[in-house]
Amino acid sequence: MEFEFRHRDYTAEEKAYSLPRLPAESHPLSKSSHQVDLGHKEKDETDILDPLREVNEKKEATLEVFQDEEINLTGAQGPSSEDPLELHSKEWTSFKKILMQRFPVSKRISLSSISNAIMKTVKVKDKSPVDTHLEELDDPQKFTEEGLKVISQKEYVARLHELKDEISHSWRNNDRVTSLKLSIKVARLLMDTSVVEFYPTLFVLAVDVMDMLGDLVWERIRQKAEYSEDGTFICSLPENFEASNICDRAKETCNNWFSKIGSIRELLPRIYLEVAILPCWCFLINNPLSSLQRLVMMTRGIADPLASAYCQLYMVHRAQKLRQHDVGYLITGINDLKILMMRILSMPETTRKISLADGRLLVSLMEPPIEYMMRCIFKDLNQVSDILMGLGLGKDRSHLFGDRPCISIILHHLLKELPTGVICSNAVDILHLIECNFDFSYDQFLNYKLLGHRLCESVSQVNEANALVDKVIQVISCYDSLYEYLEVLDAYVDIGLQNQMDIHLNSILNEIFERVCAKEIDESALSGLQSFLLKLLTHFDDLKDILSMNRFVDILDVMHGSSRNLINLSILRMATRNSCIQDPTIIHFLFEVSQALHDGTDFSNIRNDENQHSALLISRFVNMVDYGLDFERKLSFLVDCRGAFGGLSELKETLVHSSNILTIKALKDGSNHITFAKSCLTFSEVTIPAIPSGLKQLNLYIETAEVALLGGLISHADGLVESALCYLQDFDLVDGLRVPDSIEASLSLICKLCSLMILLPGNLEQGFLYGPKKIFSFLDSQSWMTSKLKIRVLSALISMSAALSQNVIPFQLIHGKVIGSKKLIFGDPTCLEEFLSFSGAIVQKIVDIVLQEPSQASRGNLALEGCNSIASSFKVCPEVLTICSKLVEIAELSLSSDNRYLVSTKNFLKTRQLCFREDGHRHKYMTG
Amino acid sequence: MSIEIKLSRSNRIYRPNEALEGKIIANFSTSISHQGIRLNINGSVNLQVRGGSAGVIESFYGVVKPLPIVNTTVVVQPSGRIASGISEIPFSVILKDRGKEDMEKFYETFHGGNISIQYLVTAEVARGYLHKSLSTAMEFIIESKKENLPEKPISPEMVVFYITQDTQRHPLLPELKSGGFRMSGRICSQCSVLDPLNGELTVEASGIPIQSIDIHLLRVESILIGDEIATEITSIQTTQIADGDVCRGLTLPIFVILPRLLTCPTIFAGPFSIEFKAAIVITFQSEQTKKYAKYDPKTPKSWMATESVPLELVRTK
Repeated sequence: MEFEFRHRDYTAEEKAYSLPRLPAESHPLSKSSHQVDLGHKEKDETDILDPLREVNEKKEATLEVFQDEEINLTGAQGPSSEDPLELHSKEWTSFKKILMQRFPVSKRISLSSISNAIMKTVKVKDKSPVDTHLEELDDPQKFTEEGLKVISQKEYVARLHELKDEISHSWRNNDRVTSLKLSIKVARLLMDTSVVEFYPTLFVLAVDVMDMLGDLVWERIRQKAEYSEDGTFICSLPENFEASNICDRAKETCNNWFSKIGSIRELLPRIYLEVAILPCWCFLINNPLSSLQRLVMMTRGIADPLASAYCQLYMVHRAQKLRQHDVGYLITGINDLKILMMRILSMPETTRKISLADGRLLVSLMEPPIEYMMRCIFKDLNQVSDILMGLGLGKDRSHLFGDRPCISIILHHLLKELPTGVICSNAVDILHLIECNFDFSYDQFLNYKLLGHRLCESVSQVNEANALVDKVIQVISCYDSLYEYLEVLDAYVDIGLQNQMDIHLNSILNEIFERVCAKEIDESALSGLQSFLLKLLTHFDDLKDILSMNRFVDILDVMHGSSRNLINLSILRMATRNSCIQDPTIIHFLFEVSQALHDGTDFSNIRNDENQHSALLISRFVNMVDYGLDFERKLSFLVDCRGAFGGLSELKETLVHSSNILTIKALKDGSNHITFAKSCLTFSEVTIPAIPSGLKQLNLYIETAEVALLGGLISHADGLVESALCYLQDFDLVDGLRVPDSIEASLSLICKLCSLMILLPGNLEQGFLYGPKKIFSFLDSQSWMTSKLKIRVLSALISMSAALSQNVIPFQLIHGKVIGSKKLIFGDPTCLEEFLSFSGAIVQKIVDIVLQEPSQASRGNLALEGCNSIASSFKVCPEVLTICSKLVEIAELSLSSDNRYLVSTKNFLKTRQLCFREDGHRHKYMTG
Repeated sequence: MSIEIKLSRSNRIYRPNEALEGKIIANFSTSISHQGIRLNINGSVNLQVRGGSAGVIESFYGVVKPLPIVNTTVVVQPSGRIASGISEIPFSVILKDRGKEDMEKFYETFHGGNISIQYLVTAEVARGYLHKSLSTAMEFIIESKKENLPEKPISPEMVVFYITQDTQRHPLLPELKSGGFRMSGRICSQCSVLDPLNGELTVEASGIPIQSIDIHLLRVESILIGDEIATEITSIQTTQIADGDVCRGLTLPIFVILPRLLTCPTIFAGPFSIEFKAAIVITFQSEQTKKYAKYDPKTPKSWMATESVPLELVRTK
C-alpha cells in the first residue's frame, strides 16, 4: 500500500484546537468555609460515640426502652390529641410488658395454701369451713404440707385468665356477688410472695382483673346516675361532674360496693379492691384524695416488702384515673418503702433471715414500683423543694439535700427524675448525699455515675464544678475495682475537662494504670477505658498533649480487641486531621498504633465498612508522614509500612504513590539522588504486582514508568512498560472490569501507554514495534473488548505510528537525559517502512471491524471514528481516499444525513482536501 | 292472682311519725269482689336465748315473749270489687310512736343473733268464707327520728389504749412474756353507724414477730330473763390491719366500715340491750399459730394479745 504519514505540527494544532484557558480563582474542590468541615467532624464523632455509650449504660436499658416506647406512642398519635388518661393507659401497658419481661419466671411454681383459689380441685372448694377446720385440728402438719402444690407457670396463668373470664361472665349474668367473690380470690393470690420472681408476673395478671372489675363497677354506677330506675335516660354525666350531681340511688350502690369491699377480712385484698374502685369515690365526694392518703397508710400494715411495694404501685396506677393529682400520698408511700427497705438492709449479717443474694433479688424486684412512683412524683415539677422536704432529704428550703440517710436505690431513682436545674445547682450537696448512702440496694458508684450523667445534661449550669471534680476524684481514688473507677470517672470527664481537670489527668492515668496492673482487665472495664480514652482524645486537639501524659501509652498497650481498635482509629483520625506529620516520636507512635490496628483487624472481609475505614486512615497517615529532605528515611518508612501492613491492599497503592512522589522530590532536589531514585523505583516495581485490582496495577505501572522517564531512568521505564504490556497480555478480566466505567478506564490507560511508547526508545532486540504490536495482538485476544474500544485503540496506534514518523514529536523531554525512540529511528528508512506497513495492517483491521459490526447505528459511528483517525494521520493518496470514502459511505448508510458526527467528519475531510466529488477520485496535494 | 306491696321509698327506710306510703298492686285475671282491703303494720322485738351460750338454764330456751312496738290495722278500701288486670291501691299510714303505754318505742330495725327488731307491713284482701284471703307482707326499715339525732360530725371520742404483756388477763406463751411487746393507739369509742370506725395503732416494740393484727367488731346482745341477764357476744366482722411483722413505730390506721345489716345504734332498753365492742387482737408468730389458723376472738389464746374497747354506735343526721 502506498500510505505515507502526514506531516503534523503538534504545537500549532494544540494552539488551534485548545479552548482558551483562564486562571481559576478557587479550586473547585476546596472547602468553602471551615464551618462545614467542623460540622461534619462533629457529626462523625457523635456517630461513632453514641452506640458505645449505649453499651456502657446497659443497666439503664429497661427504663430507656420504656421511655422510648412512650415517646413513640405519643409521637404516633400527636401529643395534642392525647388525653392524659389514654396516655396513662398506654404507659401502663408498656410498663406491665417490661415488668414481665424483666423478671422471667422458672417453669414451676410451688404454691402455698393461700393460693388455693388457683387450684381447680373441686374437693377443696366444696369442703365446708367446718370440715376444713376439723381436718386441720386432726393433723395440722399434714394440711400444711398438702397446701404446697406444684403447678406450672403456664397452668397458673391459664387459670388466672379463666378466673378473669368467669368474673366478666358472671357480671354479664348480673351475678355481681360472684364477680366480687372471684375478684377477692384473685386479689388474695397477691398475698403469696413465696415465689418472689413470679410476683411481678402475678401482679400484672391480677391487676388486670382488678382493673376490669373496677371499670365495671364504675360503669354500673355511672349508668345508675345517668338512667332512672325504670331505665329512662336522664342526663349524661359531664366529664368533671360533682358528687352533688349524682342521684341517691347511684350513691347508694356506690356505698354498697365500698361496704362490701370493706368487709373483706384480709388487708391486702381489701386494699387492692378498694383501689380498683377508687375512682368511684368521685360519685360520693368531691375530693377523693383523702382516701388515697388513708389507703397508703393502710398499706403500712403489709409487712412483706414486695407485696407492699406492688400494692403501692397499683395504687399509683389507679390514682391516675382521678381528676386531681397529688404527690402527698406518693411521698408517704416512698417514705414507707424506705423504712421497709431499711429493715432489709440493716439486718445484721448474722441474724439476717435472708441471704445477701436474696436481699438483692428482693430489692431488684422492688425497683419497678419505686421507679414508677418516682416518675409520678416528678410529673409536676413545681413543687420540687416540697417533695424533697417531704422525702426527708432537705432540712429547709435553702438546704434541699442534707445528709439524712436514704436508700441507695430510692436515691438512684430520685436522681433520675429530679429536674436538671435542681441537680446542677446542688451538685456538691448531692454528691455528699450519695457519699452518705452506702447499702447493698444499689451500687454506690452507679449513683455517682448517674449524677455525673445528669450533670452532663447541662454542664454550664453546674455549681462549684471544681470542688465537685476534686471530690469525685477523691472518691474514686478509693475504689479498688477498675471497672467502678472508670464508670464513675467516665461520667464526670466531660465536666472535668471543662473545669481544669487537666491537672489531675496524670494522677488519674497513674491510678488507672495501677488498677490495670493489679488485676486482669475484663470486658466491662475495657469498655469503660475505651469510653474514657475516647473522651480524652476528643477533648485534646493535639496528639502531642495526649502523648505527653504519662501512662497513656502504657494503658493503651494493655487494651485489646475492638476497644483497642476503636481507640487506635480515633488516634489516627485525630492525627490525620492536620496537614502533615513530622515529629518522629509521633510518627513512631502512630506507626505502632496503625500496626496494632492492622493486626487487630480482619482485613479479609473487604466489604466491612469499619475495616475500610481503618484502612483508609492508615493510608492517610502513611501519606501524611513527612520527613522533609530525609528521603532515605521516608523510603525506609515506606518499606516498613509495606512489611507491617501486608493485609492492606489499598495501602500498597498509597505506598507506590508515595514512593513515586518521593522520587520526584529527590529528582527535583538535585542530580545526586539518582541512586536513591532508583531504589524508590525498585520499591515501586516490587510493590505494584501485590496490588490485586487490575486497573490500579496498570495505572501504577504507567505512573511509575513516567516517573522513571522523568528521571531519565530508561531501563526502569522500559521494564515498567514491559511489565504493563505483559500485564495487558494476561489481562484476565475480573468481574469488576465489566462495569462500563472500568472498560473506559482501561481504554484510556491503553491510550496512555501508547503515548508513553512514543517517548521510550524501545527495545532494540525486539524491534521498535514490539510494544504496539503487542497491543495490536492483544485486541483480538480479549473477549470483553467492544468494537468501539478496538477502533479507538487502533486509532491510538495509528496516531502513535504517525507521531514517531514526524520531525517534531508532541512531547518535550528533558534535554540530554533521554534519548527517545524518535532520535533513534530518525531518518531510518527501514523503520519508517515498518511503521507504514504496521499502519496498513491497522487500517485494514479498522475496515474489517467496521464491516463486521452487526449493529447499524454503531457501525456508522465506528466508520466515522476510523475515518477521522485515518484522515488525520495520512497524506492524501488514492488508497486513503478510497478507504475514507468507503467508510463515509458506510456511515451515510447507517446514520441520518444530518447526524452531527457525520457532518463534522465530512467537513474535516473537506479541509483535509480529501473531499470527493461525484466524478470521483481527484488527486490532491498535501498541505504544508 | 297476686297482690304485692310497693313502698314509696326504694330503700324502704322510714322514721317514726312519718307516713308509710305506698301502693298495693293487685294483678287479677278476672275481676273479683272482696270484703275489704286491710293493711297491718306490726313491729316487735323478738328475743330468744340459745342454750349454753350464756350459762342460762336451757328451759328458758325460746320462752321470752316478743316485745310489741306497733301493731295497727287500717282499712285501705271497704268491701267492693277489684277490676281485672293490674290495679293499684295507694295507702298512707302514719307511724305513730308510742301508741300505747305498754308498747316499746320505735327501735331501729336490727337483725341479730338473739335479738331481732323487725317491722312488717302486711296487706290482706279478705274474700269472705268461701275464698281464701289474699295477703302479702314486706319488711320495712325503721331508723331513728332525725330531729332527735346529734349533729354530724359527732365529737370524736377517742380511747387511748396500750397493749403489753402485762395488760393481758389470759396466759401468754413464755417467749411472749419474756420477749415483751408494747402497742399503743387510740380508737373511737363513739361512732356513727354510717361512718367507718377510725383509730390508729402503733407497734412500739415486740420481741416476737407479729403475724397479724385484727380488729374484731363484737356485738353484745343481752336479754333480761327474770333476774338473770343472758349475754351473747358475736363477732360480726373481722378486719385485718396488719399482715405480718410490720415495722415498729409506724402508725397503722384503723379503718373499719361498719356492716350495715349487722349493726344498729346501741340500745339500752329495760328487757334487753344491744351493745358493740371493738377488740384489737394481735397474733404473734409461733408454732401454735400455724396449727390453729382459725380462732375465736372471744377466748384469747396464749399466742395472742387483746384489748377490747366498748363502742357506742349512734345514728347521726
